[in-house]
Amino acid sequence: MNFEAVIGLEIHVEMKTKSKMFSRAPVTFGALPNTSVLPLDMAFPGTMPVVNKQAVINAIRVSNALHMEIDREIWFDRKNYFYSDLPKGFQITQARRPIGSNGWLDIEVDGVTKHVDIERLHMEEDTCMQHHLFDSTLLDYNRAGIPLIEIVTRPTIRSGAEAMKYVEKIRSIVTFADVSDGKMEEGSLRCDVNISLRPYGVTKLGTKCEIKNLNSIVAIEKAIEFEIKRQAELLLSGQPVEQETRRYEEVKKETVLMRKKTDAVDYKYFVEPNLVPIKLSEKFIQDAITSCPELADSKKARYIKDYGLSDYDASIILLDKEVAAYFDRSVKLSPHSKLLANWITVDIAGYSNKTGKTIREFSVSPEHLATLVSMIDKGQISNKQARQIFEAMIEQHGEPRALADKLGMMQVSDESVILAHIKDTLDANPQSIEDFKAGKERAVGFLVGQIMKKTGGKINPGLTSKLLLEELKKR
Amino acid sequence: MSYLDLTLADLHQALVAKKVTPLQLAAEALKRAKANGDNAFERFMENEAFAIASALKEPEANNPFWGIPFVIKDNFSTKGIETTASSNILNGYIPSFDATVVARLLAAHAVPIAKSTLDELAMGGSGTTGHKGPTFNPYDPKHERMIGGSSCGSAVSVCANIVPFALGSDTGDSVRKPASFAGLVGFKPTWGRISRFGLFPFAPSLDHVGYFTRSVEDAALALAVIAGSDIEDATTSHKQIEDYTRLLKKDIKGVKIAVISEVVETIRNKAVIAAFDETLTALKKQGAIVSYVSLDKQMLETIFPTYLTLCCAEATSNNANLDGIKFGPRFEGKTYQEVMLKARTAGFSELIKRRFVIGSFALMRENQDVLFLRAQKNRRKIVNAVNAILKDHDVIYLPAAPGIAPKFLESGDRLSDTYLIADNHLVLGNFSGLPSITIPIGFEDKMPFGGNVMGRAFEEALVLQVAEKIENATGYRNLSVKAVNL
Amino acid sequence: MKEINKSVLKSASNSLLFDMTDEQYAVLEKEFTILLKQMDLIGQTQGIDDLEPMTFPFDVATDSLREDVPSEPLPRDVALQNAKDVVDGQIKLPKVVG
Repeated sequence: MNFEAVIGLEIHVEMKTKSKMFSRAPVTFGALPNTSVLPLDMAFPGTMPVVNKQAVINAIRVSNALHMEIDREIWFDRKNYFYSDLPKGFQITQARRPIGSNGWLDIEVDGVTKHVDIERLHMEEDTCMQHHLFDSTLLDYNRAGIPLIEIVTRPTIRSGAEAMKYVEKIRSIVTFADVSDGKMEEGSLRCDVNISLRPYGVTKLGTKCEIKNLNSIVAIEKAIEFEIKRQAELLLSGQPVEQETRRYEEVKKETVLMRKKTDAVDYKYFVEPNLVPIKLSEKFIQDAITSCPELADSKKARYIKDYGLSDYDASIILLDKEVAAYFDRSVKLSPHSKLLANWITVDIAGYSNKTGKTIREFSVSPEHLATLVSMIDKGQISNKQARQIFEAMIEQHGEPRALADKLGMMQVSDESVILAHIKDTLDANPQSIEDFKAGKERAVGFLVGQIMKKTGGKINPGLTSKLLLEELKKR
Repeated sequence: MSYLDLTLADLHQALVAKKVTPLQLAAEALKRAKANGDNAFERFMENEAFAIASALKEPEANNPFWGIPFVIKDNFSTKGIETTASSNILNGYIPSFDATVVARLLAAHAVPIAKSTLDELAMGGSGTTGHKGPTFNPYDPKHERMIGGSSCGSAVSVCANIVPFALGSDTGDSVRKPASFAGLVGFKPTWGRISRFGLFPFAPSLDHVGYFTRSVEDAALALAVIAGSDIEDATTSHKQIEDYTRLLKKDIKGVKIAVISEVVETIRNKAVIAAFDETLTALKKQGAIVSYVSLDKQMLETIFPTYLTLCCAEATSNNANLDGIKFGPRFEGKTYQEVMLKARTAGFSELIKRRFVIGSFALMRENQDVLFLRAQKNRRKIVNAVNAILKDHDVIYLPAAPGIAPKFLESGDRLSDTYLIADNHLVLGNFSGLPSITIPIGFEDKMPFGGNVMGRAFEEALVLQVAEKIENATGYRNLSVKAVNL
Repeated sequence: MKEINKSVLKSASNSLLFDMTDEQYAVLEKEFTILLKQMDLIGQTQGIDDLEPMTFPFDVATDSLREDVPSEPLPRDVALQNAKDVVDGQIKLPKVVG
């Protein structure tokens, strides 16, 4: 390819605080329309914004994870424009003094580390939801005012693959920090791409296009790939790339013109006069950072060092915050971390894939899984039996030991019980004793087999052999 | 003489002594309000007044507002009661909540009797631009003179003896100027002292809640009831509420009073100057130290354009929510833009539209530096100069306006220094957010005019103290149309 | 700075979603002339642009933040009681495109 792709990403993260950014209305998802609003959310005259402390804490946590400089004062601005989903006719945002600035993230793409420069992170509020019908649009103000974090990179990304990895890492950070659900399909993480091409070696930027309507991380890569191809074709044929906003079409995997960008819109920004500047003390910032739940990178280092997991297994577990939480709980109860990891990444994952259920909805608790793994390790059940109990736990919601008992699986390891069986069997097989004494090894195997038959295979074979030998020696 | 003609403090005594009941007062107040021909009211709150007043049985001796009828400027949200800010774009709008100051007065068992007229969206100073037409000055039975604005209706209700207390708002002088034209005490405390939650915003960095009374003592009593931090208004101060009457009746020996020469020099009205000088003499007699200070005249002449730029810019943004979609008259169209455009074209008066265009223009990217931002810089320059005076002096005292209430048809020269300085110096109180009070100091042609005292931030008690000394000197306590026998 | 003429003013008012009459544009143009002259004088003041723009009247910075505790939302019928065109508990607009 003759051209270098110059890509910047704008990510909006919906915060799952309990109340909205500036109003006290509850933050809800999927509630009946207009049942989660207060007067401020509908821009009734005389209503005023009051900043949500948790939103600030969240913004600090994410800024810190992105190695950003954190502003010691919080200032807000008004972004003035008219749109159907904007009740006040302006959005309260942070234009001039974003809470976070000059940050970075390192991402791994095909084994190579890529450094992504992040320009800014700021807080703002979400708009209404619009339900488009055939000939009308319905407005639902539940979403209006929900806190958002906007993260803007410098145009240092160069490919769709890099973009994807970057977004995955942002998603990991905001989900592990408990800031957001980070689901693109649900709109709690939104990504817009700005992309232009330029010949290699040239420093001047080409004309950029904006791509919207990306509903999955995979779509980001596909959209960028298509757009690079489209712009390259234009440039190679001597045509200019025009400044456009384009939407990604999922089915065709293409970007399609939404509107031409003429002059940049003038938002007439000015300082929000109803929000006095808020001073952040060093203590407040430190507390926000130290109280942040552990992020994936830190967990990964721990999983490898303390639990002996492989990089691969750790990565798989850390793809999903809930899975990691499940793993964390289970390793507290059982030292068999590798075994637990295996069950989680293979069996539970397999079940999730098959049924579409998340680990949250999974009916086997980490406690029960830990118990199951213990039973395997203690030799109380075989791997095959463990799988049966696992299936039973999913279906019947029982405790593993109880289920094992119910299924008649528990291997007996009580030595007195085993000894009793051994004595009975020896008494019933005097010839085998003679054979053993005569040096015939297979007598032991025969006797063990008899004991197994007698007990329906429920005794611990290893322990049985050991005790049998001891008993034989006595006879 | 009816009890309703008393000051709030005296009326409170009468209520405590059970000489009169809240119901009687409410009935009389409503009767007077309905009989008033100055176009001061948007709507009456009869049902609410009677419901509240009839439930009040045992007076509260420590609560000066118990049973007191009062009027609310129609840009304060009142739950369940139409609130229009005297603009057609808000016809029919019924808030689901009370403004904080309204809630606090209701909690103190005051009795609301009416919503009063204002200049549309509080954006005016003549009392003539509300959607019901001009409000008249009760001191002029010929109806030739304005009462000023934007809090015109509230001013009428107090000087016409309808109620002893009325809420107003002050962004560029909208309580303190009409107070001068109506012979009233008009008080604008420090920015952030009183919550603005529920007050329709004009220019938040300049907006203040203010109010009208007929005595300084009343103004002092009222402040403690409605002031204080509010979780709904992030700009409210967390400073403690004080006893704002504590300096009243104490002498002002050694209090340093500054008079800005350049302002006084631009006032050509001899009656105003004479009355003002008399009050200065009285203050000096009581031990105050009066000095003349100087502010750059050219800088003072920039007050008006600075104010206009800033308030129009903030206003145009504040009123972008008025589109007929969530509330207000709804129009139909093929697109949402058409729906909004029709509502806003029909709903805003021409003056308001011009103000919005000015404000929007000042905020445009290519203009901000030389218009909006420069106005903000000039504000800082002016405020620094005012604060410098108040470093060496306790208060600034000036005539509130260059003359008596103008006639409706008078066209003043808006570029004269009299207009620019003498008519606009009260804006210094909005730029700086400092506490500022107007009190009546004299009459000309049977029309009153006032003086204005401004002090340091949150020093309301001192400002009230000086104002009361002036009130004592003039004897104009409880001045009203009735009191001057018209 | 943008030059003032009727077309600029018309575009400004349309971007604020209202129309004005021709007479009003003329009045507005006059008002602008006066205002801009006055603002220009301010611009000529020594050192004016070295000052920080002032939004708040005095130092009002706070460390106060609202605890993240939700309140009861408005009942839906109250939230929508002032809206004239309501369908399915939502406010109806002509179809929004773009």
